[in-house]
Amino acid sequence: MNPVYLSLAPALLAPGVGAKAARSVAPTALAAIAFLQAAVAVFVAFTTSGDHHLLGGYLTTDATSRLFLALVNLIFLGIAGYVWQRARTAPELANDVSRFARLSLLFMAAANYVVLSNHLIGSWIALEVTTLAAAPLIVRADHPASRRASFRYFLFSSVGLAIALLGFVCLARSLELEGRAPTFFLDQLSHLPHASNPWRRVGISLVFLGYGTKLGLAPMNSWLPDTYDEAPPSVTALLAAVQFNCALVSLIRVLQIYRADSRDLVATELLVGGLASMAVSTASIIATRNYKRLIAYASINHAGVIAIGLGIGRTAAYGVLLYVVSNAFIKAILFLTAGKIHAHYGTKDTREIGGLVKDLPYSGLFLMVGTFALLGFPPFGSFLGELIILSGLVRGQQVVVFVLFCTLIAMTFVATGRAIFPMIWGEPKRRVSWPKQTLVAALPKLVFLAALVVMGVYMPAPVNDLFRAVAATLGAQ
Amino acid sequence: MSGALIAFEIVLLLPLFMATWRTSLLGLSLQGALMAWIAFRHGFHLSFAAVLAVCDLVVVRTLVAPMVLHRVLVQQNAPKRNDVIAPNLLSWTFALALVLVAFRLAAALEPAEGDAQMLIAVAVSGLLLGLLVLSTSSGPFSQIIGALRIENAIALLELGSEAHPQSLGIRVGQLAVLAASVGFFRWYLLHDGDVGAPKPEAAEEAPRSVSL
Repeated sequence: MNPVYLSLAPALLAPGVGAKAARSVAPTALAAIAFLQAAVAVFVAFTTSGDHHLLGGYLTTDATSRLFLALVNLIFLGIAGYVWQRARTAPELANDVSRFARLSLLFMAAANYVVLSNHLIGSWIALEVTTLAAAPLIVRADHPASRRASFRYFLFSSVGLAIALLGFVCLARSLELEGRAPTFFLDQLSHLPHASNPWRRVGISLVFLGYGTKLGLAPMNSWLPDTYDEAPPSVTALLAAVQFNCALVSLIRVLQIYRADSRDLVATELLVGGLASMAVSTASIIATRNYKRLIAYASINHAGVIAIGLGIGRTAAYGVLLYVVSNAFIKAILFLTAGKIHAHYGTKDTREIGGLVKDLPYSGLFLMVGTFALLGFPPFGSFLGELIILSGLVRGQQVVVFVLFCTLIAMTFVATGRAIFPMIWGEPKRRVSWPKQTLVAALPKLVFLAALVVMGVYMPAPVNDLFRAVAATLGAQ
Repeated sequence: MSGALIAFEIVLLLPLFMATWRTSLLGLSLQGALMAWIAFRHGFHLSFAAVLAVCDLVVVRTLVAPMVLHRVLVQQNAPKRNDVIAPNLLSWTFALALVLVAFRLAAALEPAEGDAQMLIAVAVSGLLLGLLVLSTSSGPFSQIIGALRIENAIALLELGSEAHPQSLGIRVGQLAVLAASVGFFRWYLLHDGDVGAPKPEAAEEAPRSVSL
C-alpha cells in the first residue's frame, strides 16, 4: 500500500480517539497520530519523485502536494504537542481536548485530501469538510461571542466556497464552448490548450474571489479577525497555518493550469486584492490594542503579500513559496504564544501587559522572535521571501505596486512594534504566579523557529529542490 | 423549460417584497421543486446518479432545508415579519436592477437567444439577489436565506451544463456538504435564538476562562 493513503487515516481514527471511553488517553493518542502523520508526510515529500496518481486518479503526489503535505502535517504536530501540554497542565480541559482530538483529526484527513487532490471539485469538497470540522471547534462554552464568530466564519466560508464552485461550473462551460468534454482532473486540464473565452475569464475570477474569501483577502476579510480572536489558540493556529495553506493550494492549482496559456490571467485581480488587503490590515493594526487581533490582521497582510507574489508569478514564484511556508510557522508560533499569554494574564489588551521577557521568558522570546519574523527581519525565511517578491516587482516594472507595498510594510512595522515591543520589554504591569515553563512545552515552537531560521540562512538541498519544483509550476524562471 | 424558468424568477423576487420568514422558506422550497422539474424535463433515466439528483433537489433543497429551518422558527415563536432586504423603494429598485444586469450578462455569455440564455440569466439573478440579501441583512436567519439562495443559483446553473462526468463519490460528497451545512445553520439558529436581528457585540472582553 502506498504510504500516501495513511494521510487519510485520521478520519477513521477520529471517532475512537474522541470517544468518551478514550478521554484520558486522547491527548497522547492525538500527539502520537500527529507524529506518525508528520513522519509519513516527510517520508512521502522526500522519497517520492515524479507525479504519481492514486485512488483512481483522484490523488496526486506532485511537488505541490508533497511540499504542502509535509508543511501542514508538521504544523499539526506542533499544535498537537501544544494541546498535549495544555491537557497535562489543565486537567479541567479533558472534555475540550477530547472534542478537539475528534474534530481536528477529521479536519486533518480532509486537509491532507485537499493538498493531495488531483480533482478540482474533490479538493473543494474536502475544503468544505475542513470548514465543517473547524466551525464547532471555534465555539467555547459560555462564550456567546465565540458562537457568533463560528457562524460568521461558516457563513463566509460557505459563500466563498460556493462562489469558487460557481467558478468551476463556468470553467466547465468554457470547455463545452471549445467543444471538449468538461473535466475537473488537474492532469487532464493542464494538458489541454485553453482558448480565451468569457466563461473562462469569469470562471477564474470567481475562483479567485471564492478562495480569496477563505484566505481572508479584502474585501471578503471581515470574518477573519473575529474568528481568530474568539477561537481557542490551538484552533486559531489550525485555521491560520493549516486551513489557510489548503485554500492557497486550491488557488495555486487553478493558476498552475491556466497560467501556462495566459501569464497575465487574473494578475490584476491578484495585485489589487493583495494591495487592498495590505491597506485594510495596516489600518486595522494601527487601530487595535488586542494582540490576538493584531496577529489576525497581520495574517490578512500576509495573504495580501502572497496574492501580490502570485500576481507577479515568474521571478517571484520561489519567494512566494518561501514566504508561504515561513508564514505558516510564524502564525503557528504567534497564535500558540498568544494563547499562553492570555491564559497567564487573562487579558488580550496590549496596554495591560509588560515585561514578558522577565515574567514568561519562553513566551516573551517566542513573541519577540515571532514578531521579528512577522515583520520580515533577517535571518528568517520570511525576509528572503519578501525580498524576492520585492525584486520580482522591480523586474516586472510594477513601480506603483512596489512603492505602495513598501509604504504599507513600513507602516505595519511601526504599528506592530508600537503595540508589541512594550509587551516584551516594557515595565511589568502586574505579576501573576505561574508554574515554571518547561523546555518540553516550548519544544514545538522551538522546532518551528529553527525551521524559520534554516529557511533564511541555509536551505537543505532536498527542501530546495522541492521548492524549485513547485516554483517551476508557477512559471519560475 | 421557459415556463419553469419564469416561475423560478418570480419565486426569487416575491419573497423580497413579501417580508415574512414563511415566504422566504416557501421560496426556497419552490426553487428546489422547480429545479427538480427542470432536471426531470432534461431527461430522467433511473440510475444511482439520478437518485442522488432527486435526493439533492427534492429531498434536501425542496423539503429538508426549508422544513428544518421552519421547525426551528416555530419552536422559537419567531415574529411573522422578516425583511430579507431593507423594505424601501431604493432596495427594491436595486433588486430589480440586479435582475436586469443578470439578463444583460447572460446575453454577453450566451449570445444565442433561447432556453440556455434564459437559464443563465435566471441563475445569475439568483446569485446576485442572494448576494444582495447576504450583504444587506444582519440577522442570522436572513443571512442563511441569502446563502441558501446562492447555493440554489449554482445548482440551477449546473443543470444547464452538459452532464459532467463526475464520479458518484464526488456527487455524494457535494450532497453531504450541503446537508451538513443545513445542519450547522439549524444548530446556530437553535442556539443563538434571536432570528431577526443580530445580538449586540460584547462590549467587554469575555470573562477569563481556560481554553485550549
